[in-house]
Amino acid sequence: MTSGAGPRAQGPLRLGRATFPESQPLIMGIVNRTPDSFFRPGLTWDESAAMARVDQVIAEGADIVDVGGIPAAPGFEVDVAEEIRRTAAFIAAIRARYPDVVISVDTWRHETGRAACEAGADLLNDSWGGHDERLADVAAEFGAGLVCSHAGRQQPRTRPFRVAYADVMADVLDQTTRLADRAVAAGVPPDRIVVDAAHDFGKNTWHSLEVTRRLAEMTDTGWPVLVSLSNKDFVGETLNLPPEQRLPGTLAATSICAWLGARIFRVHQVTESRQVVDMVAAIRGDRPPARAVRGLA
Amino acid sequence: MITSAALCPAPPLLARELTGSDPVAPELRQACLDATAALLADGPDVVTVVGVAAISRAWPAHGGLDLAAYGPGLVSAEPLVPLPLGLGARLLDQAGYSGRRELQSVGEHEPAAACAALGARLAGTALRVALLVMADGSARRGLKAPGYLDERSFSFDATVEEAVRAGDLAALLALDPVLAAELMATGRAGWQVLAGAMNGRRPATEIRYCDDPFGVAYLVASLRAGG
Repeated sequence: MTSGAGPRAQGPLRLGRATFPESQPLIMGIVNRTPDSFFRPGLTWDESAAMARVDQVIAEGADIVDVGGIPAAPGFEVDVAEEIRRTAAFIAAIRARYPDVVISVDTWRHETGRAACEAGADLLNDSWGGHDERLADVAAEFGAGLVCSHAGRQQPRTRPFRVAYADVMADVLDQTTRLADRAVAAGVPPDRIVVDAAHDFGKNTWHSLEVTRRLAEMTDTGWPVLVSLSNKDFVGETLNLPPEQRLPGTLAATSICAWLGARIFRVHQVTESRQVVDMVAAIRGDRPPARAVRGLA
Repeated sequence: MITSAALCPAPPLLARELTGSDPVAPELRQACLDATAALLADGPDVVTVVGVAAISRAWPAHGGLDLAAYGPGLVSAEPLVPLPLGLGARLLDQAGYSGRRELQSVGEHEPAAACAALGARLAGTALRVALLVMADGSARRGLKAPGYLDERSFSFDATVEEAVRAGDLAALLALDPVLAAELMATGRAGWQVLAGAMNGRRPATEIRYCDDPFGVAYLVASLRAGG
């Protein structure tokens, strides 16, 4: 699959042992093993709190658990050993507790990806645009999935500084499909590859709004699209609200992306996001109502 | 020779269209407009806008700001020129200036001597040259800054401010390009063009704005060259 002329059909997505049809939107619940992420910092820094959070997101309807050991923003250095220390054993514990749940690791480093796969991870979620080319090799070796994202050629853990694009969506399509093609060439199964426009990464708020508006161009490539919108700065700047007040804006963006065909939603608030994507799936005609009796009795 | 100069920063948010409903930085915009008005007050023969870009070159004098690059859907003013030059050209438009103008970029990696030589050449293009220099200080002035915190940025930017405040522009020629790059102080080459254009003279100066509301050092100043 590559981006060519005209939309390409979406196919089933395989993650771990599961196969998900195009019509089934997936919720990826965020579990940060960090003391300093931007949203509710330190909430799941403690391991028992983190496992309680895993229990919660799965109970609330998450299909995927995304474990991250490094915040996206610049800050205290987290080296490979520390990142692995924060994530790998925890992933193994999740795998032991939930044999069938899809586990994702949020990392750009191949060493961390390898440790995570050895511990049972199914998906390597790279938000930094293939910065470490060997991550795709690790996915291929373990038969794991890979998220191919657009970070605007930013180095990991940097903020955008006056980034400019002649056409931001064209750049997103070019970079993500190129990374996806590269992953196929490296041996990653094509039905385990996902693309992500990476809102806020290498983008100002206008760029992220444009990518949201034009997300259909991305779903038209045929690659399953992941969106990570949750409480991000483009929502905060659009509505002039701090992180803890960005849920409504997040859900608005979520519903638009769901309408335009995104398939995986990486979120902090699982319950609310689950309701939104399920509702949109019903409006699209992809999912029947849970219980319809009105006017039918 | 240079009769007057103005120093303004060149962040994209200087364009009002890019900040949404909230004007975000009205004082900064007003200071730049005031500095531009003062620059034009005594009728220069030519206004040369100087800004840092990938390479040193002259650009079409009627070039404009590439707004769409920063806000998809907005309309850019053709022909496109680098951001600092487009912002400078827009300041001249807003001030109602319709006289002769030139747009000149200076390469971000140019050494101080080349910057100074460029400044001297620009100063010689007319009898009365006004220089509008679009240049920024460090973008690493806090934990929320674009480039995160680098404590060295404070003394670096203070050196620039003090040099401008004192009219001692020669001090700008001593700025270390490597340090400036590390601090994401993108205006270094622009300041050094200004210093070269002044050619050792000590202008009377007025600081109109000096702050870092978003972690980037913005300095707005007016300079009036002595005899």
